[in-house]
Amino acid sequence: MSVKEAQANWEPKILVFACNWCTYAGADLAGLSRLQYPPNVRVLRVPCSGRVNPQFVIRAFQRGIDGVLVAGCHPGDCHYVTGNYFTRRRYLLMQRLLQYVGVDPERFQARWISGSEGPKFQQVVKEITEQIRAMGPNRKLRDAQ
Amino acid sequence: MSDKVKKMQEIAREILEKGEAKVVIGWEKGTHWYLSPPAFIDKPEEVERLVWDDFCHNNLSKYLKDYVNHEGKVAIFVKGCDSRAFNRLLQDKQIERDKVILIGIPCHGLKDQDKAKELGENADIPKAKKCVECRYPNPLVYDYFIGEEKALDEVAAASEARDFSDVEAIETLSPDEKYEFWNKQYERCLRCYACRNVCPACSCRECIFDQTRVGWIGKANNASENQFFALTRAMHVAGLCIECGECERVCPMNIPIMLLNKKLIKDINLLFGPYDAGVDVDGKLPLGHFDKNDPEEFM
Repeated sequence: MSVKEAQANWEPKILVFACNWCTYAGADLAGLSRLQYPPNVRVLRVPCSGRVNPQFVIRAFQRGIDGVLVAGCHPGDCHYVTGNYFTRRRYLLMQRLLQYVGVDPERFQARWISGSEGPKFQQVVKEITEQIRAMGPNRKLRDAQ
Repeated sequence: MSDKVKKMQEIAREILEKGEAKVVIGWEKGTHWYLSPPAFIDKPEEVERLVWDDFCHNNLSKYLKDYVNHEGKVAIFVKGCDSRAFNRLLQDKQIERDKVILIGIPCHGLKDQDKAKELGENADIPKAKKCVECRYPNPLVYDYFIGEEKALDEVAAASEARDFSDVEAIETLSPDEKYEFWNKQYERCLRCYACRNVCPACSCRECIFDQTRVGWIGKANNASENQFFALTRAMHVAGLCIECGECERVCPMNIPIMLLNKKLIKDINLLFGPYDAGVDVDGKLPLGHFDKNDPEEFM
């Protein structure tokens, strides 16, 4: 495939960090309910949204991901009681820091999606995919290779 | 020789002669008139080397980490920012309070070494940037005290005039301009890790950047890996940075590292309420606890 063709066929790559207890179940429900959502997302299951180290996010951008979504249980619903409260603090800061160094705000997002919110998972993924598709491939923080 | 220096040497001599501490860490005159590097004094007759002038920038508290396994006590001189660094290490349980003798010196605000080098000895040298914005010139914790505490109203005036204008200037740029700015800065980074080594907030037993086999960070020196380093370092000291500005001072490439740290400090204050690291030893760290009423943006 030539470079031009590759550019024309470009599809956004989106990484979703999904917490095992809520968002992963939500994604599962979306599938069970036959809700269509774009195949651009790669769902990565983590035990808790608190597991998502900020370095994972930067690494994803380095290695060619165009958008990152961190998703977990709604505050108060964490399987480990308080994990997502820490996530909230950490990513409120991280989001601002990423914007401060020039990453577009759409490229890094966080959402609370519970196990019963299949339609919400579908909707969030659709939204993000459309936003990223409109913006084009991510060049920032990218590894040259 | 000023009274303060005399007093410093007197106290240091007394401590060493009595054997209260095995070593006194202070500052001495360096190769150039605008350098005052750290001095490690272990003999009473060597206390004459100690000085206190406009260039005693080094934050001595970090050296305490080298003495963790030594027997006996260590005495160090602390300025306002050094005492916050001491509290910081104490809060992380990196050092023991009883093994350290602190000699407090209220700081009058130090002068910029780079400008001094440029302007020459007789010129009117401006204060270092971190010292213009300093809100803690008086040591917060000490066993001995030299001189007089800086008047509190002066300090209060400095706190009110807390200046984030440099951070705000970058915030108003467009994402692409911001990226270009930071890319230019971190393209120069040598990854010498001097900023980490000197930082009183960095006290992990094994730093993430040294865990080469885990593969957190590549060995290649390119903009992408350097930015990974910059962002990760900034996140790791979020809520711990005491604004001593040492990282920026030691950077051989003059990268404005404090602009990243100050951004995080600004956001922590804005999001989670006012917080100054290294002031309260028993307090909770901003990222080490949470509040159920934290701002909610992820619905």
